[in-house]
Amino acid sequence: MREAIRLIKRLIGGALMVLIVATFTFFLVRLMPGNPVQAAYNTLITRGMTPVQAANEVRVMYGFMPHESLWAQYVHYLNQLIHFNLGQSISYEGVSVLHIVLSAAPWTITLVLSGVVASFLLGVTAGVVAAMKRSSGMGSVLTVSGSLLHGIPQFVMALLLAFVFTTLWPIFPFGAPYGGALTPGFNLPFIGSLAFHAVLPVVAYALSSYGGWLLTMKSSVVSVMGDDFVLAAELRGLKPSIRFGYIARNAILPLFTIFALSLGFMFGGSVFIENIFDYNGLGNLLLTSINNRDYPLMTGAFLLITIAVILSNIVADFLYTAVDPRIRRP
Amino acid sequence: MNASEPYSAAVGAGITIRNLTVTYHTDRGIFPALKDVSLDIRPQTITGFIGESGSGKTTLAMAIMNAIRTPGLIASGSIYTDGVGDVLKLQGESLRRVHGQHFGFVFQASSNSLNPLKRIGAQLLDLGRSHGIKDPRILLKEARALAERMGMDGDRVLTSYQHELSGGMRQRAGIIFALVLRAKVVILDEPTTALDMLSQQAVLEIIRQIHEERGLTSIIITHDMGVMAEIVQRVVVLYAGRVVEEGPTQDLLQRPRHPYTKGLIDAIPRITGDLAEAKPLAGSPPDLATVPTQGCVFRDRCSLRRPVCDLVEPLAQPAHGDGLVTCHGVNAHD
Ligand SMILES: Nc1ncnc2c1ncn2[C@@H]1O[C@H](COP(=O)(O)OP(=O)(O)OP(=O)(O)O)[C@@H](O)[C@H]1O
Ligand SMILES: [Mg+2]
Repeated sequence: MREAIRLIKRLIGGALMVLIVATFTFFLVRLMPGNPVQAAYNTLITRGMTPVQAANEVRVMYGFMPHESLWAQYVHYLNQLIHFNLGQSISYEGVSVLHIVLSAAPWTITLVLSGVVASFLLGVTAGVVAAMKRSSGMGSVLTVSGSLLHGIPQFVMALLLAFVFTTLWPIFPFGAPYGGALTPGFNLPFIGSLAFHAVLPVVAYALSSYGGWLLTMKSSVVSVMGDDFVLAAELRGLKPSIRFGYIARNAILPLFTIFALSLGFMFGGSVFIENIFDYNGLGNLLLTSINNRDYPLMTGAFLLITIAVILSNIVADFLYTAVDPRIRRP
Repeated sequence: MNASEPYSAAVGAGITIRNLTVTYHTDRGIFPALKDVSLDIRPQTITGFIGESGSGKTTLAMAIMNAIRTPGLIASGSIYTDGVGDVLKLQGESLRRVHGQHFGFVFQASSNSLNPLKRIGAQLLDLGRSHGIKDPRILLKEARALAERMGMDGDRVLTSYQHELSGGMRQRAGIIFALVLRAKVVILDEPTTALDMLSQQAVLEIIRQIHEERGLTSIIITHDMGVMAEIVQRVVVLYAGRVVEEGPTQDLLQRPRHPYTKGLIDAIPRITGDLAEAKPLAGSPPDLATVPTQGCVFRDRCSLRRPVCDLVEPLAQPAHGDGLVTCHGVNAHD
């Protein structure tokens, strides 16, 4: 019950965040140089539409009238938004933004989540080893690997992987999310092909944040190992495996807060990674919509990414509460 | 005291420390926190370690358990304890077993000696599992009984997380962990600092009772001369990593031989006495970085200083019957 109330509070908070982001993007689009709403209106006029037709067309695309006051436009926009109407795409004529965005979302979410989970598990484990074996060769190698990988930008990593494993040493396929001859659906060859094609982009996501997890976990473990209770556990003769559990669980706590930040970073990276590996996810959508000046699609994609990040934040927060008894509300 | 004494589970073990030197390796240099300490801790006796902050009390306790951690290092010496042998020769599993089963330790900062993410009961089970306790229920029952004896609700303590307990309760929980495995040697580093006067009395009394019931060898580290006088049977006075005086409590407190011990005793204001009578110890506590490397380390604060003190470090001489004192200024036959 307590948890349910907390969840509702968090969801309301999340909805507020979405509102703020929506407001921000609304005004951003309106205030951009060469006001895109006005530009779309002008284009339609030059195509020979009457002002009334053109205004209606713009209204369908953006959800508000071009000649209304900014405030009235904003209210219109929000009204459309709570009815899940994100307007219509300019570049994909006649298709609703919601439809496009929702069909792109699963690609991005699957890749990002697999990448996050893989890098988290890998980085945290390596971080623990790096901390425990600090003075040995293995520890230093791990730490250096972390620092190096941490320094490589995501798109460089993706390009590098694509080059090495599809061109130089063609193990993995390139250029599509699944084999062209396969029929999409719940059949083994299709799912296998999906997974196989996903290896490189997932690795690209994973490697780009692996270093961060490793370094953070290492310093967290080192600091926990200096805590009194760890020495106490040792002087009480606790088994090394139990002691290890004490250290690991305490050390992983601060990482949950970074988890949220990392997700935002990963979704940001989808712009490059989906482009390089040719996935029609949100990142790619964002990119093409910018290229095509498809502002409704742009705001829609952006909004969905925001929602995804906020939702994962809430999940991370609940995970945190589950492992740390001290912040469980009375 | 006698390493050849037969090992018996029910009886406390003596500890024989010989030529123990512990150094701390810091950026500012290598400092001996304990210098050539030789000392006998008598079996089934409550021994008190006393000395100013930084005199090496905790270091000595840690060394006895072979638990000195970097940047510290046990440079030399041996520590025999009955039933175990030379603790300093142990490592790995055998050392782990000695920690907890032979030595029970209560931390100075024992308010932080528990894992914040686990209930006390679960941590007790971890302890039992680590030491091959067959029936965890017996362990929990024992822990509950100890908690009740120290004036706490046993079930409440076992089902609590550390942050749900008060400082004093945490400290008593730490004591439970040290006693529950029935260790033969129990070392308590300032066990009652987080407690109010009344709980302090009560807890000390429990410690004394359990000490007697189980025939333990106990070491209590404290700043509190009152605690000393009350329950400790023998006193070890430490100064700058040296044992300067050792002996039975009564005799040592009534007829202190070393000028430092005298100073410590004179520095306590007695509740019944005149506050003005309490004389703070002259000079500042020793800093390992500045203690002289030659001669007596106490000479700068000493009233009995003579030329030999600048040159030669004093040796231990018999005092208080079976005790010792380390000072050029006192004559053994005084
Ligand atoms: N980890 C460490 N690194 C460097 N020096 C240390 C370390 N631990 C202790 N020392 C030094 O060793 C000396 C003895 O310290 P110790 O903790 O044994 O003193 P203590 O008598 O227990 O003092 P207190 O009454 O304050 O607890 C001190 O001078 C201290 O500065
Ligand atoms: Mg101490």
